[in-house]
Amino acid sequence: MNHATTLSKIETISYLSEPLPLDSSRSLEIDRSMGVPILFLMRSSFFSFALGLFLVLICSIKLVFPSFLDGVSFLTYGRLFPVAYDLFIYGWAIPLGFALILWLMARLSAAPLSHVRIVTAAAHLWNSALFLGSLAVLAGYGTSVTFLEYPNWASFLLFVSFLLMGLWVLLLIKEREERPLYISEWYLLTALCSFPWIYGTANLMLTWGKIQGSAQGPIQCWYAGSLMQFWLIPVALGAIYYLIPKITGIKIYSYYLALFGFFSLLLFSGWNGLSALIGGPIPAWMMSAGVVTNMMLVLPMIAVVVNFYKMFQESEKLILHQSPALRFVAAGIISYVIATVLSLVSSFPCFNAILNFTDYLSGIFLLLFMGFFGMTLFGGLYYFIPRLTGISWSSSKLIRFHFWLSVVGISLMVSSMLLGGIIEGIALNDPVITFTNILSYAAPWNVLVSLSWFTLLLGFFCFMRLLVIMRWQMIEEKLPLSL
Amino acid sequence: MNRLKSLILIITFLFFLSWSGVAIYSYLQLGHLKTVAGSDGVLPPDYSGKAILGAQVYTANGCMTCHTQQVRQLDVTHSDIDRKWGTRPSVALDYLRDRTAFLGNRRIGPDLSNVGSRLTDPVWYYQHLYEPDQITSGSIMPSYRYLFHMQKIQGEPSALAIALVGPHAPPPGYEVVPTKDAQDLVAYLLSLKHDYILPEVSAETPSAP
Repeated sequence: MNHATTLSKIETISYLSEPLPLDSSRSLEIDRSMGVPILFLMRSSFFSFALGLFLVLICSIKLVFPSFLDGVSFLTYGRLFPVAYDLFIYGWAIPLGFALILWLMARLSAAPLSHVRIVTAAAHLWNSALFLGSLAVLAGYGTSVTFLEYPNWASFLLFVSFLLMGLWVLLLIKEREERPLYISEWYLLTALCSFPWIYGTANLMLTWGKIQGSAQGPIQCWYAGSLMQFWLIPVALGAIYYLIPKITGIKIYSYYLALFGFFSLLLFSGWNGLSALIGGPIPAWMMSAGVVTNMMLVLPMIAVVVNFYKMFQESEKLILHQSPALRFVAAGIISYVIATVLSLVSSFPCFNAILNFTDYLSGIFLLLFMGFFGMTLFGGLYYFIPRLTGISWSSSKLIRFHFWLSVVGISLMVSSMLLGGIIEGIALNDPVITFTNILSYAAPWNVLVSLSWFTLLLGFFCFMRLLVIMRWQMIEEKLPLSL
Repeated sequence: MNRLKSLILIITFLFFLSWSGVAIYSYLQLGHLKTVAGSDGVLPPDYSGKAILGAQVYTANGCMTCHTQQVRQLDVTHSDIDRKWGTRPSVALDYLRDRTAFLGNRRIGPDLSNVGSRLTDPVWYYQHLYEPDQITSGSIMPSYRYLFHMQKIQGEPSALAIALVGPHAPPPGYEVVPTKDAQDLVAYLLSLKHDYILPEVSAETPSAP
């Protein structure tokens, strides 16, 4: 308890420093005005995350025991697995990222929000489309396009509700006070404006209207890559550029480096998705473009990480130790570095020939998704939920449990997927080894993956427990918001 | 406001560079391919009506979650062809007739782009869909029993009834017959044969190893 109070004191002090000082009554007004939509988006994203974890755990058990819950149409692996991932992306990553964008944009624009009901209504529409769409995929109305499985009506509703929310944020930016944009805002603006464009294009070509099958492959890969590069990575980087200076009180080390990191990311993103089709039925130049850009993505990674590292170096070590937000963010940054390097390795055609279609690539995806995006955003949540609700975290022990269970879960999962993937890939490349033999090599790793999903679920329960305690406190103190 | 405008302009430019370069250019280059005349008809051959319905069953059950449909090019790897998953690498034209191109990104099961040439007996497919581990020992494919129908034998047993041995085999006096969905799905799988020779790839056709 004592620990938690010192911790909240530190964060209150630092939160009044860089990058934009606000007097506390003003920031309180800003926080209150957007509390309802943000908390609603967060609540639903937590629900989707828990559900997604539960479903993906069932899927991973099915890989170990194929007879587990088999013979039931809506529980078959091919329907359950896409639904779990769609819940992660459209149920968790996008609403949570959007909540973060709302909060940071309002804070950075220093303007309270007006007409928040539009956002809340759009978020309700989003959730209904998500829920009904997921049920439809389970019932067999999916489209079988990776990350675009929802039937047309559901994906169209998702598109419309995102447009509503996004346009509203753009109006907010228009009303802001005259001031250069902060680097976080660049990333978040990019994510906000490019997502509907990418989602719309991909759906237009692959689900709402269908272009000739021969051109669908590159578009599918472009969408999967763009979702990562234009939503997950920019949102997480935007959050980090806000959180580190706020919590440590250290200014951004180099603006030029930040500029370089931002523009180089933008330049190589989108193209890199093509690297998933090395050796596939596409023209050679597309493959080369995919390989080169995927390798080049190391540059923006180095630029942002040097910046973050220098800021960590300059800051007081005590803050690093005591701020849960920073601890999560640091884990996120480490995941980003490892994932980018691993992805660089897999884009060499000679390695790709072995690693493609194995768990190696799923491992990289999950390292970026759960490790980088997930840990960073949880860090952000630990920072901004107390500021929204006005109540500090009740137990630093539960935060530590959440942190360590997540770290152990993600490292166990990713390392077993990487190792399992390499073994699987080498075996696949040797035609003497039969396919069922390869499955038996992969089997022990699948057990570890199930175990790590379970660990992640446990970690998330710790976080949920913290939220439940906070909710009780809010009810006791009769605060106007509900969590 | 000028700096904001120029920033937005640069972001938009870079974004549209990749958008037009990948999404639009692929569509323009690969989205309007024409069928070619082969020695025995138009290539790639059109799917039968049953196979088109079967592709919808394939879609509904998410088969592409575990099965790819692409044979990789030889300058990258020989293993796909050595595994007899195809006689030549897949090319864009092979997907011309597909409503959704099931390229896939994960091989939990074998590649299916030429499964119809590899396995030609429909009964094998029915048995495998119903009890995969009995047919292929060590398979982790789930059972698709819900695509079948168990019924009491009345008079003569149905011509469609399949022979089963596993724990879900029908009790005496009963038989298991495939539903229409299962029949369509098998028709689709049997039609997956991309072993015709296309002019654009014939030069690359591998010599026997």
